[in-house]
Amino acid sequence: MTRQPDQLLQVRNLSKSFVGVKALDQVQLDLKKGEVHAVMGENGAGKSTFMKILMGLLSPDSGEIWLEGDVLKNADVNETLKRGISMIHQEMLVVPELTVAQNIFLGREKTNWLPFWLDDAHTNAQAEAILQQMGVDIAPTTLLKHLSVAEMQMVEIAKAISNNAKVIIMDEPTSAISDKEVATLFKIIKDLKQQGVGILYISHKMDEIFQISDTITVLRDGQYIGTKPASELDQPTLISMMVGREITNLFPEIVPSKGEVVLSVKRLTRQGVFSDITFEVRKGEVLGLAGLMGAGRTEVARAIFGLDRYDNGEIQLNGQTIRIHSPAEAIALGIGYVSEDRKGLGFIPAMTIQDNITLSSLSQHAKAGWVMTDREASVATHMMQNLRIKATGAAQKVSHLSGGNQQKVVIAKVLQAAPDVVILDEPTRGIDIGAKFEIYKLINDLTAQGIAVVMISSELPEILGLSHRILVLSKGKQTALLVREEATQDVIMKYAMQ
Amino acid sequence: MNTLLTRSKNLGQYGIFGAFVVICLGLAVINPQFMTVSNWTIIITQVSINALLAFGVTFVIITGGIDLSLGSMVAVTGVVAASLAHPDTYPVIVPIGVGVLSGVAMGALNGLVITKSKVPPFIVTLGMMTIGRGLALILSKGRPISNLSDSFNFIGGGSVLGIPFPILILVVFFILCTLLLKKTVLGRYIYAVGGNEQAATASGIRVNKVKMAVYTLCGGLAGLAGILLTARITTGQPNAGAGFELDAIAAAIIGGTSTSGGTGTMTGTLIGALLIGVISNGLDLLNVTSYYQQVVMGAIIIGAVVLDSWNQKK
Amino acid sequence: MKRTLIGSALCALLLVGCGQGSSDNKEASGDKKIKIGVTMLSMQNEFIVKVSDEIEKKAQEMGVELIVVDAERSALKQVEQVESFIAQKVDAIIMNPCEVEASSPAVTKALAAKIPIVNVNSETSAAPSAFVGSDDVESARIAMNFIAEKLGGKGNILMMHGYMGQAAQIKREQGAREILQKNPNLKLLAHQTAEWDRAKAMSLMENWIQSYGANVNAVFAQNDEMGMGAVNALTAAGMKDKVIVVSIDAIPDALQAVKKGTLNATVFQNAEQQGANALETAVKIVKGEKFEKQTLIPFQLVTKENVETFLK
Repeated sequence: MTRQPDQLLQVRNLSKSFVGVKALDQVQLDLKKGEVHAVMGENGAGKSTFMKILMGLLSPDSGEIWLEGDVLKNADVNETLKRGISMIHQEMLVVPELTVAQNIFLGREKTNWLPFWLDDAHTNAQAEAILQQMGVDIAPTTLLKHLSVAEMQMVEIAKAISNNAKVIIMDEPTSAISDKEVATLFKIIKDLKQQGVGILYISHKMDEIFQISDTITVLRDGQYIGTKPASELDQPTLISMMVGREITNLFPEIVPSKGEVVLSVKRLTRQGVFSDITFEVRKGEVLGLAGLMGAGRTEVARAIFGLDRYDNGEIQLNGQTIRIHSPAEAIALGIGYVSEDRKGLGFIPAMTIQDNITLSSLSQHAKAGWVMTDREASVATHMMQNLRIKATGAAQKVSHLSGGNQQKVVIAKVLQAAPDVVILDEPTRGIDIGAKFEIYKLINDLTAQGIAVVMISSELPEILGLSHRILVLSKGKQTALLVREEATQDVIMKYAMQ
Repeated sequence: MNTLLTRSKNLGQYGIFGAFVVICLGLAVINPQFMTVSNWTIIITQVSINALLAFGVTFVIITGGIDLSLGSMVAVTGVVAASLAHPDTYPVIVPIGVGVLSGVAMGALNGLVITKSKVPPFIVTLGMMTIGRGLALILSKGRPISNLSDSFNFIGGGSVLGIPFPILILVVFFILCTLLLKKTVLGRYIYAVGGNEQAATASGIRVNKVKMAVYTLCGGLAGLAGILLTARITTGQPNAGAGFELDAIAAAIIGGTSTSGGTGTMTGTLIGALLIGVISNGLDLLNVTSYYQQVVMGAIIIGAVVLDSWNQKK
Repeated sequence: MKRTLIGSALCALLLVGCGQGSSDNKEASGDKKIKIGVTMLSMQNEFIVKVSDEIEKKAQEMGVELIVVDAERSALKQVEQVESFIAQKVDAIIMNPCEVEASSPAVTKALAAKIPIVNVNSETSAAPSAFVGSDDVESARIAMNFIAEKLGGKGNILMMHGYMGQAAQIKREQGAREILQKNPNLKLLAHQTAEWDRAKAMSLMENWIQSYGANVNAVFAQNDEMGMGAVNALTAAGMKDKVIVVSIDAIPDALQAVKKGTLNATVFQNAEQQGANALETAVKIVKGEKFEKQTLIPFQLVTKENVETFLK
């Protein structure tokens, strides 16, 4: 291979197998200076294996990696970091009890003339300079634990910059930050571009990819599918490259609902979090809950489900006023909740699919406290088929499933308790496009069965594509209740920013 | 095919079972006396008390908790039972019932404080450990309570059809605890609470009730162990059971119960308890001083946890 | 508000109380009441409780004021307790030491503060003003001699130790081994600790029965608790008739067992005399009277023949 100085990173024929399974097969990549290069693919396509190899966390079976015309061979993490490749991890790898400056220079601590004596002043000054250059307003002496997720991300980027990174890998950087913060991030990415830094960008959010990236490389099942300039691609083409088949209509057709009111919330208030939230959901209807991060959508859902208390207001279910103190009561009354925090609130990782699916309805499959195993197994298998949960069997542990299948298990659990109303909080976060499509169809199935659905989502196309009506929240207050016909992305954003 | 796969995986988790077999075979080769029926009868009888405690604490550890008050509960229940077990006073069911109930009460108190105050179980049960020891001394006025009825002592020293009574109790409670953990709603909830407490709450499980149940159960089993011990040594001793909690926790951990909660089996715990018993019996047979016994025991505990963390990584 | 009121009221009461106490002392200064601090090894041990009870009984008789504390087997705690006695300016200290070495600083500190200190029951490496107790070595000699006599100087013996490294364990082992040396045909088959504990001793005996079976002729346990455990295990195995068990301390349980014939003998250590004598010695020192630097209370062998005199 010849030296190509404007090529920052060149990857040729990279392959990696795990116990006989090809995770990466002959993957290619060219990253230029000042380029934002998106790497796309469904979960399991091999993106994270690819990134781990680039970072030196895994070694490839075959293939070559060239950085600025020099081959990178058997490089470990320390080596790649030194050579200028940094990664912003999806799960933030920061030390919460250290300050911003200490985190930025972690592992490369500044000392004074005594090589073991920390020079705090110098560290803070340097950190401040980098943060200023980025246009970020965070004091270098703040403890990391006091920062928001977006701010932690900025610290990680500052860490990469301080390390003179030439290549920065960003793994789903916008998965947990608000739209406003996304704007800040994109501005920083543009600055980095101008300084000649190459960025490998991984995300599931289509609109974002087209907004930020110059070039797109697609992987599928470990295979290299192709690389194209972003300007030559549109969303359907990109999706079909990723999925390997055409998905013509991402959102299923919406059937209008004329059922009676199932859930009615009146002037629901939790002091300092949200106030005067009023809405109704009918049988077979999807009510979309839109808003920015921190608008109070999840908090409203948690209060209705009994995870948090509320101070004022009234909740009616099927015409009866109810007061819920715990999720156990909510489930018994017929309210289901699929949390946005799948790992934290959704499932028990060490338990099997079957045990998770029946967890909320176990007493229905039990007699005098004894679980009737046969009945439980048939219920679980039935649900797995219905929701097309891909697994080796009902006895597989949920921790071994992909994100999309984990989400389906959680939904199965909620549905198994036979709810009248289901609150879905970011039901497609972090899952790939094929699984997303299936969950959309599932939501449609639910409404067809007469279940009322409240769907919280930060992805506006999802809200617009699935909801009958849309409630917009901003800073804990409701700013609009739109019917489907009058709602567009712009209108929703206008109310969401109000 | 599937069941075969999962079964072989389960065996992998019981790496400790392999270690157990190897140690037994080794001891059998060095000292032929080890592999006799009479010696195993002795080993299992000796293990029964620790195993009952270990069963109780296994429930607790699976929920992600800990109980350090086991040894003190043994002392309290022993003293309470002994004081009611003098010949020609009450029928034998009275000391047994009241003894077990005193364990249940202390366990329930543990559970109540833990669930109501949100103070970590480590601290609450550490407090209960001292309170229990004090109670045992108060109730006995610092002196052992002896002169117990023959029917009471039968629990610790008698045999039915040639099988020592403690072994029968052990077998019955092993089966009961296994069924409870594997076949009942409560058992499922115990795993769920330890596996992910928040998700369990959001799934409609009343986590506090599960925790109450678990600590109460643990207390009841400790009560039973206390009665067994008292009947075995034919005295209720206020200073009995000191350090028993550590042996019980060790048995659970050696048997593959993860201290971070969510996993563990009664079979594993039983093997853990047997392993501890076998080692101390075997080293006694070989006339190895107790200094070395302690070193060996510690190494095995650490080894078991290392093995467990390797298994979890896989 | 309420709380602070009650608090200050309590304070006031305490202050008044203290004031009265001290004025009383001054009034009585001509015939000042002697104040003695007592720290005991462990109030969970029956024998120690007996010694302590006897000290208190004697103190009441002699009109001495006592402060009795429990060191809970911790030498560190014991040293702190003695320090607080010094701070309280007691007239004398009676200490039942936890450990030979670790409790020694208590003796040094008391003597440095010119407060006489009497060790009761066991020793420290630092020499106190006086020692009242029995020689543990002697108790083991008595027990082992009994075994030697019964076996006609020939046979196999097992020995159960207490907590390894404690003074009583070291001395009782020493005494036992002296007699073993004098009787070359007595063979020590095995020795192991059962930590003074009945349940542990029972398990140990069961294991020994497995490996030595009918070869065992006698068991020497360094205390009665362990002796009782051995008796339990031997009885269950149907071997008690063939094996002699002897232990030390003569606790009530052991005396009952001697009476029944299950425990062959125990060695009586006179708690009453130790306690009473310790207090008398301390009072003598305070009053400046003549006193014995070392008082050894003799042991007595308890067998079925004389057990009735020890049972009250």
